[in-house]
Amino acid sequence: MIMRNKNDIVEKVKECLIKAASTFSDDKKEVYRQAIGRETVKTAKWVLETTLNNALVAEQNRSPLCDDSGIPHLFMEIGPNHNVDGELLLYIKQGVAKGLRALPGRPMAIKGDDTQRIDQSGGLDFDPGALLSAPILLKPTEEDVLRLHILMHGGGPEIRGKTFRVFHKHKVSVVTEEIIEWAVEASGKLGCSPVTLAIGIGRSHFEATSLMLEAMVFGNHSIQNEIEQEITDRLNKSNIGPLGLGGDTTCLGTFLNVGPQRASGVRIVSMRPCCGIEPRKASIDL
Amino acid sequence: MNTIITPISSNVISQLKIGEMISISGYIYTGRDAVLPKIVSLIEEGKLDEYGINLEGSVIFHTAVSPAGVGPTSSNKYEIESTIPALSAAGVRLHLGKGELSKETIDSLAKYGSVYAVIPPVTALLNSMTLSTKIVAFPELGMEAFHLLEVKEYPAIIAIAHGKSIYDYEKQK
Repeated sequence: MIMRNKNDIVEKVKECLIKAASTFSDDKKEVYRQAIGRETVKTAKWVLETTLNNALVAEQNRSPLCDDSGIPHLFMEIGPNHNVDGELLLYIKQGVAKGLRALPGRPMAIKGDDTQRIDQSGGLDFDPGALLSAPILLKPTEEDVLRLHILMHGGGPEIRGKTFRVFHKHKVSVVTEEIIEWAVEASGKLGCSPVTLAIGIGRSHFEATSLMLEAMVFGNHSIQNEIEQEITDRLNKSNIGPLGLGGDTTCLGTFLNVGPQRASGVRIVSMRPCCGIEPRKASIDL
Repeated sequence: MNTIITPISSNVISQLKIGEMISISGYIYTGRDAVLPKIVSLIEEGKLDEYGINLEGSVIFHTAVSPAGVGPTSSNKYEIESTIPALSAAGVRLHLGKGELSKETIDSLAKYGSVYAVIPPVTALLNSMTLSTKIVAFPELGMEAFHLLEVKEYPAIIAIAHGKSIYDYEKQK
């Protein structure tokens, strides 16, 4: 039987959620500063400056970056000397609820049975803490940690995200061209650019989406490989700009995560055009 | 920056240009997916007065209103964008949200003498510019109810006006 301090875990998870919903990561602040310095369109520069200023105020106030405070998505790294059991998952659930109430998160849990939750006829639960997390992802790591990552997913990127098959024709460029085509269309309609593209490439829709989420967890705007930089650069030539109003800054970076692949002419690609305040994420060692 | 005070006259609207930065002060309505179709139904049934709603010269901000604050939702979601023509015809002069709108909506805005502006999703900053909030209709919708806000100097950029759209990227290159 593992001895855990319930209050300590609940409090850590609560603080982690508040940080995820209210704080820009250091690499995100830096990439905004760089984009402001480069941007040549006056309104675009103003949008970037205002968005960064908003983030600094939200961090200071520990208040939501956006009124769509997001749906909690959890990702856990588990080292060889650590265990996850039902008790720990229960404490994490309680910490998430406590964090949502303290933030406060937007009360947007839908009440009712299956049909009522689809057509929204059952009404809303006015308790921010009633918002349930998406299913948790667990990943083994060689590091000696039990680390929880919390991401807060807004609704706009969900409307414009896409998971679909790509016939790769045995060329990487075929896949990247398809991604760029999706990203240009998504960024124009999103309305909350500049985006950070999170991309997972896997063997199934579930795997590709899981890889995409992992890309958001570990992605860093300051570390971009050749493919990521190419996608970012191409998207920035679209002139979509911040909020879609035109400008040099449509994309701040690309987080690409390529998983195992099957012997086939098909790759499953999951792309999420994270809005200008995403990925909203924070981590805590439990 | 052009300062807009509500209610907005047609003369003010006629002088706005796409790409222009504005600030909005005064009383504005809010609504999104759940409530805007209901407001259109009230217009069709002639029942706006029963709720004390006067849309002439008004602004509708596409947002929820909750303890988390306010911030634009995607105006191109079906239940929002599809209400823009009827709301414009009923007197809404400025629709405030985010995201590209269709050619049909651009044409309807021009037809009724209304414009569309976008506002950055800067909830932490907007909190200090929101002086009061009040539910006007459909309180059962919670954060999606039809609200009246008193605001001071909300920043926005005119995105669609007089049949022109800032989202026409090819023409801007």
